[in-house]
Parts: sequence; C-alpha cells; structure tokens
Amino acid sequence: MRAVLFWFAIALMLFAFLFPVFWVYLTSLKQPEDIFGAGLIFEPTFYNYRYLVEVRPSLNELLNSMIVSVASTIIVMAVSVPAAYSFARFNTGNGHLLFITISTRMFPGVVAAIPFFIAFRELNLLDTHFGLTMLYVYFNMSFATFLLYGFFREIPTSLENAAMLDGYNRIDVLRKVIFPLIKPGVAITTMFCLIWSWNEFLYAFLFTRRIARTASVGLSTFWGSVEIQWGPMAAFMGIAILPTLVAAWLMQRHIVRGLTFGAVKG
Amino acid sequence: MADADTLTRGPSGAGDRQSSLSRLLNKDSTSKWLLISPLLLFLAAFMLYPTLYSLYMSFTDYIMRGAPNFVGLDNYRYLLDDPVFWEALGRTLFVLVACIVIELCLGLAIALLLNRDFWGQDLIKGLCFVPLLISPLAMSLMWNYMLHIQFGVVNDMLQAIGLPAVGWFSTTGLAIWSIVFISVWQWLPFSIFVLLAGLRSLPRDQFEAAQVDGLSAWRVFFLLQLPMLAPLIIIIVLLRTMWLMRLFDPLYGTTRGGLNTELLDWMIYRTAFVDFDIGLGTAYAMFALYLTLIGCLLMYKRLMRMMKG
Repeated sequence: MRAVLFWFAIALMLFAFLFPVFWVYLTSLKQPEDIFGAGLIFEPTFYNYRYLVEVRPSLNELLNSMIVSVASTIIVMAVSVPAAYSFARFNTGNGHLLFITISTRMFPGVVAAIPFFIAFRELNLLDTHFGLTMLYVYFNMSFATFLLYGFFREIPTSLENAAMLDGYNRIDVLRKVIFPLIKPGVAITTMFCLIWSWNEFLYAFLFTRRIARTASVGLSTFWGSVEIQWGPMAAFMGIAILPTLVAAWLMQRHIVRGLTFGAVKG
Repeated sequence: MADADTLTRGPSGAGDRQSSLSRLLNKDSTSKWLLISPLLLFLAAFMLYPTLYSLYMSFTDYIMRGAPNFVGLDNYRYLLDDPVFWEALGRTLFVLVACIVIELCLGLAIALLLNRDFWGQDLIKGLCFVPLLISPLAMSLMWNYMLHIQFGVVNDMLQAIGLPAVGWFSTTGLAIWSIVFISVWQWLPFSIFVLLAGLRSLPRDQFEAAQVDGLSAWRVFFLLQLPMLAPLIIIIVLLRTMWLMRLFDPLYGTTRGGLNTELLDWMIYRTAFVDFDIGLGTAYAMFALYLTLIGCLLMYKRLMRMMKG
C-alpha cells in the first residue's frame, strides 16, 4: 500500500514536470485547425516546421542566439577563471570584492537596462551582436566567477606550493597542476553560461530588433497584434529548447551546485 | 603570503629566462591583482556605470530626447505618492512570499519522498531537472496556451474529472496566482534537490538512535532534521528572492502586466521603455535595487553566521 502511494506520488510529480514539454512537441505536430482543442487525437503534420522554413525563416534567430551565447561565454570564462583563481588562492579583497561581484546578480534586470540602452544608442550598439554579447558577459560574469571560486577553493594550496618548490613558475603551475583539476568545474560553468545566454529574454528583447534578434525574441513575435500563432510557435519552441533539454540531462548532477553558486553539492 | 613569496623566488634559477609578465605572475602580491584586473574592469564598466548613471538620471526629467533637466527629488516625491508603484511593490512581495512558501513546503515534502533508494531513481531525478534549465519565456508561453480558458488542455483535464473550467488568465484575482504557479513549476525542482542534498548529508545514526529512544519519525524530523536544514532553507530564500525580484518572462508570456499582475520589473520596463519616462523609471529602479540589496545583504549575513555556527 505504501509502495503504491509512493509510486503514485512519483508519477504525479513526473507528469507535472514533464507534461508541458510533451505538450510543446505534441502541439508542434498539429495542423492549424487542431490547435484549438483537438486534444491527443489528431493527424500529425510537419506543417508548422515547414512554416518555419518557408513562410517565416527562423534559422537566423537560432544562429544569432548561438553566436551571442558562444561569444559571451568565451569572454566570461577568460575573465572569470583568472579572477576566481585569484579570489580562491589569495582571498583578494578580503571577501568584500567577492560580495560586490555577486551583488551584480541581485540587480533587477531592468535597472541596468536603462543606462545601457542610452549608452548603446549613443555608441550605435543597439541591435548588434557585439552589444548583446557584452550584456551577456555582464549578466553571467559574476555568477561564473562565484561558481568557479567554489571549484578552485577545493584544490589544496599545498599542491601548488609543492610544484613551485620543484621549480615551476606560475604559468606552468596553472597549466600543468591547476587546469587538469579545474576542468570539470570549467565545463559545468561553461554549460551554465551557454544555457543562460541562450534562454535570456529581457535584454535580447530590449536591445535587438532585426539583425541580432535571438531565438527568445523570435519566439515572442509569434504573439502578433491580431492572434497568437500557437502551432509555429510550438515548433520553434521545440527546436529552441532542444539544446537545453540535452544539457539538463547531461548536467543533472551538477545543476544544484551550479544554481547555488557552489554552496550546495547536489 | 610572505612565505609563499619566498618560496616562489627560490627555484632553480629559472628566473633569468622569464618574461616580465611571467615574473609578475610569480609574485603573489602582484599576480593576485593582475589576474583579477579584467574582472574589475568589467565590474567598473558594467556595474559602477549603470548604478551611477541611474542615480543621476533619477534626479532628472529625461524622456529619451532633448537634454535632461535636473528636477531634484521630484521623481522620488512622485513615487512615494504613486499608488501604482506601491501596488506593484506589494504584488511583487506577494509573489515572492507565495512562491517561496509553496516551493519550500512542496519541495521539502518531495525531498523527503525522494530521500530513499528506489528503482530507477537516477532516471526519475534526472527528468525532474528539466524545468530548471528550459527557457522561462518558452515555458510561460506554453503555460499560457495550456491554461487557456477555452482550448487549454488543463481545463480539458479539469472538465474530464467533472470540475468546471477555470479562467486562469481572464479572472482578475486568479491571474497573479497563475503567474505564481508558472514560477513555482519552473523552480520547484531547485528547492527539491537542494533540500534533498541537505537530507542526504545529515548523519543518519543520530536519528536512528533518537527513534530507538522512542521519538516518532515526525518528531525526529521537526526536532532534529529541520533545524539542520536551516542554512539550506536560507540559501533557497536568498537565491529565490534575487531571481523573483527580476521576474519578467512569465509576465511577458502571459498577461503582459494586465489583470492586476503588474510586478515591479514590468512596471520599470513600462515606464522607461514604453512611456520613455527615464527619470521616473530610474527612480523606481533605484528604489527596487536598494530594496533587493538590503534584503539580500541581511540574508547573506545571516547565512554566513549560520554557516560559521
């Protein structure tokens, strides 16, 4: 009896968490007339996916998302890895700097958006890949630093000192001793930065129009002034969330740790 | 740090061949600042600038064209008397409290449920992570579709078990709860797995001893286990506060601020980017910023104290 209740609860939970994702893909296979209330029984069609190729080309938006996510993640890692090492190894700034870094994550998104918008307008950076990339660097930098800080702190300093005694200089130590140990942490942080840039909507929505429009913004355009095109929207959603679904599966053991900035090891 | 410095200068005469950059890196006192300088540059550009600029703008009447005129505290005076602002703030706090309370209660219940070994546990837990990483905008739009009053699948299900259809996004009092629901759906796994990690790390023998001593499982949980989870609960509250203060996507995907669901972030967006009232918008924004920072700082301090204790 207890076992039945237990499995019933598990099934209910899985159903609640996964049903919307299932419904995205189901809806994407529906014809326009089935969208409004056909439920589970309908004739599947690739009409919506064809729509994304022929009627409303959408490849560009996915490409923009990819460019901006990858570029910003590379810059974030280039800035955050050395900074996190410095924080972890030397306690630079006695913890105050670390708190200032993390506090950028507490800023409500729109607070920073207003000054950036005005500055970007002056610098002609609105609707450019570069501009959005910079915003995502700002958006992910503090998080990446904090998460990497947690990983660096786990590497014993005695290891480094021993290598230094053996005649290694700092660059050798970083390359041969630290980097192999920090690789998993770097991989996880990279994945998080990629996903959050990929999913980000507010900045993309405010700062891009046509040229650099990302998939998130593209998604919102299916909600027109007259009607919402649920079918093509679901198809586009299905494509846009696919990388994150794969990532969620690959990263499951590290997600909790990542989201809590390394404080909780899941 | 001093002894580390002498250590690094010691080795095998390799110093002669080193470039100046490498020499700088070898000294702890210089390398720590050298390594952190790119971050500091970015922080200055991306944190100092917007904060100071917003502060300045909040004392002006800038409307995206012409020159900003200094108006002193007018925007703040207006804000204090503005019922729309206080309503949005109240709603934001309501959503904050509702989401966090529901997530903690449900999360704890499910974490206790999952805190055992069962068949297929890795697969089942892995699937539960899905909502956390999916695009919040995509899922808000999907929930908007699924909760539609006429053709939404949720109402179909309700009617199938004999309940009436509900106007999730067409009833004024209910719309805000629908937003809470979407946010909880997305972030519940976070609470579950943080609390589960906490439960797993608790020492087991102590609780077994307590149970042998005649304490019921419920008493053991409330008297022994729950207090030990307190730091984790604070982490959840702290992080969720940070994220919920910037709740925007679920509003954009559903009500777009209508039906009494306008939250603080949406209101700032509307003031600054729809009405182009930068002065007032930045005044709202600064207010929201300080509120979040103070709230988070208090919790952060508390957390640090508990971690030490």
